[in-house]
Amino acid sequence: MQITRKNFIRGDVAAVPPGVAVGALNNRFRWAKAADFDSDVDVLNYALTLEYLEAEFYRQGNSAGLVSGKEMQYLDAVQSDEESHVATIMATVKKLGGQPVAAPAVDFGDAFSSREKYLTTSHVFENTGVQAYLGAAGFISDTAVLQAAAGIFGVEARHAAIVGNLLGLEPEGGVYMGATETPLSQAQVLDAVTPFLAGASAMGGDAAVTL
Amino acid sequence: MNQTQIFDGQPVLSFRSEHDRRSFLRSALLVGVGAGFVGYYAGDPTSASSANALGTPAAPSAKGDLEILNYALTLEYLESDFYKQGVDGGVLSGRELDLVTPISEHEAAHVTALTDTIKSLGGKPVASPKFQYPQGTFTNRTKFLTTASVFEELGVKAYHGQVTLIDSVDILAAAASIAGVESRHAAILADLTGGEPFPSPIEANLPMAAVLKAAKPFIA
Repeated sequence: MQITRKNFIRGDVAAVPPGVAVGALNNRFRWAKAADFDSDVDVLNYALTLEYLEAEFYRQGNSAGLVSGKEMQYLDAVQSDEESHVATIMATVKKLGGQPVAAPAVDFGDAFSSREKYLTTSHVFENTGVQAYLGAAGFISDTAVLQAAAGIFGVEARHAAIVGNLLGLEPEGGVYMGATETPLSQAQVLDAVTPFLAGASAMGGDAAVTL
Repeated sequence: MNQTQIFDGQPVLSFRSEHDRRSFLRSALLVGVGAGFVGYYAGDPTSASSANALGTPAAPSAKGDLEILNYALTLEYLESDFYKQGVDGGVLSGRELDLVTPISEHEAAHVTALTDTIKSLGGKPVASPKFQYPQGTFTNRTKFLTTASVFEELGVKAYHGQVTLIDSVDILAAAASIAGVESRHAAILADLTGGEPFPSPIEANLPMAAVLKAAKPFIA
């Protein structure tokens, strides 16, 4: 059986196909997590939480006086992008008749104690964002939502590359993460961002249940 | 205490500047979700002027997926050939060479992956066209990097123009996983050429015909 977006989303797919050469392209696509999301609103609220985190991260970081010049310009643009993503996703959830999740409480620890820590944490956020969007893409049914989510995903990849380069990281494995991006399941993404959420209830409680 | 309830825990957002507000309004336009939305926005999705240019693509199908893969393969052939000549041409050095060499490797890997995928689906991979470039493309650093930047932005828009037209979810995942890498390339080349690494909060997209028209001058 050929898996199409339509039957995958509806959960009609009983078995994962071998996907020979596609596997070579991307052998880590998380088929097994088919129950990650129930609806487009679920996916969007998941993305919204990550975007809230990113937007607030840059709001605090860019106010900390750690960067200047071109770096500041770039990070200011990144902050604007993340804020735009928050607003766009919230508006989209509402259009779909859903309720946008509330912003979580955050704790970025000592991420703003130095330029290097700020950028290093940013690099983690951006790459996690890329992987989160890719891992969730297959669950989106509305084509306009898919187009927007893919479009946001690409911009997060731009952010990740530029921040990796500002840090002077190795091109492969620092600026680029291989010839293809690697998706992460929702559980893996939540593990990665949990350290930045203040209090276990922030995403483990009611607000996160809809994730 | 770093603990902050961001946006006071409320789903509200203020814009820091008029530019941000306009940028959001254009993005919101893009996400025209709802019943009956079947088209996609041609051109720059954040440009209000093109936001009404709805395409009317064919419904996604397995046959359509093969066509999309061969289209992507053609673009990857072009990029792969271009970077091979550029890296071999010796106009780059130091950090720039270090940043561009993996791009060349990625494009070659994309060609291989797409070729194998088309074969595995029972399709026939298109042959590589012969390519031509303006004189001096590979002997002048600025010319090479500027052309590379154009190709990367075009490649990003090309992939995003197909996102909603792909039928198979595994091909969608594969195409997206390539598109993200092209976005990284595009950002780095913009940085190297003094361009704008983040031209839009959401990647723009172009339909196949517009991309092929842009690529045509390079096909001999």
